[in-house]
Amino acid sequence: MRASQISLGMSLVVATALLSSCKPPEGANGGNEGGAFPRSQTLYVAGSQWGDPSSFNPLAETWQPAWPVNDRFNLMYETLLNYNTLTGKIEPALGTLVSKDNDSLVVDLNSAAKWSDGKPVTADDVKFVFDLGRKYPDAASAFAVQFISEIKVAKVNGADRLTFLVNKKDRNNPLVVLDLLQAIRIVPSHVFQALLASHGDTLANVKKLKIDSVPVVSGPYNLKAYSNEKIILERRDDYWGNAALHNGQAPAPKFIIHPIYKSNDAFAIGLQKGDLDASQTFIPRIGTKAKDGVGTWLDAAPFYVPGAIPMLVLNVTKKPLDDKNFRRAMAAAINYGDVSELAVSGYSGKLNPGLIMPTVLEGKYFDSAASAAHAVALGKESAKKILADAGYKAVFKPDGSLDYTTDKAGKKLPTLSIMAPAGWSDWENMIKIAVKAMREAGIDVREGFVDPSKYWPAKPNGDFDILMDKPASNVTPSLPWSRFEAIMSSRNWVECGKSMNENQGRYNNPKAKEYNKKVDSLLKAIPLVTDSVSLKKAYVELNNIFLDDQPAIPLVYLPEQFYQFSNKTWTNWPTAKNSYGPPQLPWVSAGINTLWQLKSAAK
Amino acid sequence: MLKQYPTLRFILQRAGWYLLTFLVAVVINFALPRLGSDPVDIIMGQNSGGDPAMQEIKRVSFLKEFGLAKLDDKGEVVYDSVTNAQGVKERMPVKKGIVEQFTTYVGKTLQGDLGSSFQKYPKKVTEVMGDAVPWTVALQLPTIVFGWIIGNLLGALAAYKRGTFDRVFFPMALLFSAVPFFVFGMLLVYFFAVQWGMFPAMGGFAADIVPGFNLEFFGSAAYHYVLPFFSIFLISAGGQAIGMRSMGIYELGTDYIKYAKWLGVKETRILLYVFRNAMLPQLTGLALSLGAMVGGALITEMIFSYPGLGMAMLTAIQFNDYPVIQGVTLIITTCVLIANFTVDILIAFLDPRVKAGLQMGGN
Repeated sequence: MRASQISLGMSLVVATALLSSCKPPEGANGGNEGGAFPRSQTLYVAGSQWGDPSSFNPLAETWQPAWPVNDRFNLMYETLLNYNTLTGKIEPALGTLVSKDNDSLVVDLNSAAKWSDGKPVTADDVKFVFDLGRKYPDAASAFAVQFISEIKVAKVNGADRLTFLVNKKDRNNPLVVLDLLQAIRIVPSHVFQALLASHGDTLANVKKLKIDSVPVVSGPYNLKAYSNEKIILERRDDYWGNAALHNGQAPAPKFIIHPIYKSNDAFAIGLQKGDLDASQTFIPRIGTKAKDGVGTWLDAAPFYVPGAIPMLVLNVTKKPLDDKNFRRAMAAAINYGDVSELAVSGYSGKLNPGLIMPTVLEGKYFDSAASAAHAVALGKESAKKILADAGYKAVFKPDGSLDYTTDKAGKKLPTLSIMAPAGWSDWENMIKIAVKAMREAGIDVREGFVDPSKYWPAKPNGDFDILMDKPASNVTPSLPWSRFEAIMSSRNWVECGKSMNENQGRYNNPKAKEYNKKVDSLLKAIPLVTDSVSLKKAYVELNNIFLDDQPAIPLVYLPEQFYQFSNKTWTNWPTAKNSYGPPQLPWVSAGINTLWQLKSAAK
Repeated sequence: MLKQYPTLRFILQRAGWYLLTFLVAVVINFALPRLGSDPVDIIMGQNSGGDPAMQEIKRVSFLKEFGLAKLDDKGEVVYDSVTNAQGVKERMPVKKGIVEQFTTYVGKTLQGDLGSSFQKYPKKVTEVMGDAVPWTVALQLPTIVFGWIIGNLLGALAAYKRGTFDRVFFPMALLFSAVPFFVFGMLLVYFFAVQWGMFPAMGGFAADIVPGFNLEFFGSAAYHYVLPFFSIFLISAGGQAIGMRSMGIYELGTDYIKYAKWLGVKETRILLYVFRNAMLPQLTGLALSLGAMVGGALITEMIFSYPGLGMAMLTAIQFNDYPVIQGVTLIITTCVLIANFTVDILIAFLDPRVKAGLQMGGN
C-alpha cells in the first residue's frame, strides 16, 4: 500500500512540475512584449562571445575583454574611423579622414562627439590611448609606436585636427597606420587617468579592473547587464552621432542581447527559429535555411563575400617540405572544388592562384595571365608528374592506398602531419579532403588534430610540419599586403623553437644562400607605393614569387564574418541586392550603420 | 586503544585513508596540467601580433601576473643569462620551480584564495566556479534524484509483476539506459524544439529575462528545463530500473519472500520488503552519483548551452588554465571523497552484515 502511494505521489509531483512548465511559448525567444526587453525592440546577435564574459575594460589585453569591447566592435567604445569592406572606403566615426599620404594621416575629430558623462571627446583622449603605448610597453597600443612617431594636434574650424606622423625610422608603413586608426578604440582619458592615478600609476593594475559598472562610453549603446549566459546592451538615446551622423535618428533596436551559446548547432537553430537576428558563425548548408527567413549577402552560392583564406602553412625547414617541387606537387594534388563543396558547403568561389582574392577590394591587383605562367597545373596527374620529375617515388599497397614515399636517394620520407585544433570541424573537414587527394597522388601526409593547448604554442615556434591557419583574418585597409606579410616576411626570421608572429613556416631564411631579397623589398615597398599601376606590378611580382615557391597552400575563401541574419523580427538587412551597407555585422566597423536602417518586421 | 569502540575506530580509520587519498589527489591534480604546454605560451600563440621584443615584454608580464615567474625582494622578475642553441647568451626570466609553485598554491588555498583564472583573467577562480556550480546542480540534482526514485520504483515493480508489464518495460529501460546522453539530447532538441517548437532548444531561461527571485524567471527556467531534464532523466531512470529489477528478481527468489507469500502477506508489503533489501547497492550508487555530480554533465551542458562546471573545466583544460583546473578538481575530489566516506559509514550502520563484522573486530 505504502509503495504504491509513494509511486503515485511521485508521479503526481513530476506531472505537476511538467504541466506547470509546459506553458505555451511566449512568442519567439520566449520573449514577451510587456517584459523588460520587448522582442520587437530587441536585436539578438551571437557568435562574437563564446566564453564567460570576464572584463569590459578597453585597456585590458586584447583577448580579455568581452563583446563588444573586443576585436573591431564599436557599439560601446568607438574608433576614429570605420572601414567599409564593400566599397573599400574609410567612413567617419569619431573622426573623419581628411587626407593621407606616405608621411602622415590627418583626421578631424567630430566636434559634436561626447562621452556618456557629457564631457566632449577631445584630442587628449586620442593622444592618451596612443601615448599609453609609449609609456607602458605592455599596453595594447604599444604596437602602434613602431608605426606612428608623433601625433600633432591643431584646431581647425573649432574641431581638433589630429595629424598622425608615420614613423619613417621604424616600420615606415602608412598602410598599417590606417589599419590602426580603424582598430584602436578611443577611451575617456579623464576616467582612465584618474584610475591610473589611484592604482599606483601602474597599467597592469588598471588592466585588472572589469569596468563593467556604468562605463563611460562614446558609442550608441552601453552595457546594461551581463552574466555567463548573455550580454545585454541598451541604446543610449543621447548618443552624439544620432544628430551628427544620422540626421537626428536613433538606431532601431532599443536593446541588443548577445546570448552565449556553447555548441555550433545552437546558432543554426537560433536563426531558424527566429530567436537570433544575426550571427557570425559557420552554419552548414545555409541556403536550405532561406525558407525559415535566414538570409545571407548573396542568396545563392557562395552566399558570402570572401574575406580570408584558410591555408596550409608549410614548414620549409623540414624535409621534404624544403623542396619547392614537393610543395608544388602538394598544391597540385588537392581538389579545391571538393574542399569548398564538401567542407564548407560551397561557400568558396573559384580560387585565384596565389594570395590575391577576386574581390572588389583586391581583384584590381591580380593578373590572371601572369599568374597562370607561374601557377602549378592542378590535378592528380600533374602532381604525380612533378613528384616523378623531382625524383620522388610513391609506393602503393595492393589495395591501392599509399604505403610510403621515397626521395631521390631512395630514402623513405617521414609521414607529414597537418596540425589543426581538434574540434574545429570546418578546418578538420578541409584537411581530411586535402589529405585524401594528396595521398592519392602519392604524398605521405596525415591529419594531425591536436588539443588547442598544443596548437597555439606550436604555431609561433614552428613546431609543426604543416599548420592549418587563417592569416590576416580581418578585412582591413592593408589587405592583401598584410596577407603576403603574414606568410612571406623574413623581417623577424628566427629558427624553429623561437617565436615568430608571421611566416611561421620559416620561408626565405635571410641567412641562407638561396635567400630571395626581392620578397622582403617588395613587402617593404608596397605600403609606400601610391600609383595604381606600380602597385599592381608589385603585387603581381610578389604573387608570382609565392606561386613559384609555394610556401603555403590556400584551400578555400571564407568571409571575414559569416554574415547571416533572420528576417523574422528585423528586416532591411544589407544584401547584394539591397547594398546600402557592407556585408559586415552591425557591431563590426562600418557595419554599425545598419542599426539605423533596420526595420521592425511587425510594422 | 579504541578496541572497545569498533565503530569509532572504523570511522577514524576510514577518515585517515580518505585524507591520504585527498592529499595524493591534490598533488596529482596540481602536477598533471603542468606536464602539458605552458599556459603563457598558449596565450601568446593565440594572440600573436607585434614584434618579438614586444611579445617578450608581454610574455614576462603574464608570467609575473600569473605568479609563474620568480620575483626578487622588490617584486621584480628575476632574469638569468642563458646560452641558446646558437651559442648566444640571452636574458631569460626565471620561472618558479614546481615545488615553489605548489607551496604557494597550498598556502593560498588554505587561506581560501584559489587565485585568478588565466584564460578569464581577471576573473577569480571562485567566481568562475560560483557562476557554474548552480547550473550544474540545477541541471543534475533533480534528474539524479528523480531518475533514481522513479527508476527504482519501476524496476522493483517490474521484478515483482513480471509478465506483460516486464516484457514491455524491460526492453524500454534497456534501450533508454543504452542510448548515449548526447544522441538522446540531440534527438529531443531536433523533434521537440526544432520540428514541433514545443520547448526552447537551449539556454537555462529565456534570453530576455534577467535572473531574479520572481515567478517570471522561475517559470521560464522550468520551461527551459524540460528537455535537459528528460535527456538525462530517462537515461538514468532506465539504468536504475535495470539494476533494481535484477536485484529485485534476486530478492524475490529468496526464501523469506516465498515464505511471506505462503503466509498471504499483502503484495504491496512484499514489494516494500523487496525494495528495502534490494536498496543497498542502489543507495551506494545514488551517493556516488551525487558526489560525482559536481564534475558536470559536459555533453548535456554543451547541447543545451548550460554554462556549468563541465564547460568551465573543458575550457580550462584546453588552455591549461592551472588555477581553474586546480579549483574545479579540488571541488570534485572533495565531493567524491565525502560521498564515498558517507556511503562507507551509512553502509556500516545500515547493512547488518557489515555491522556484525565490525562488532566481531573486523573492519
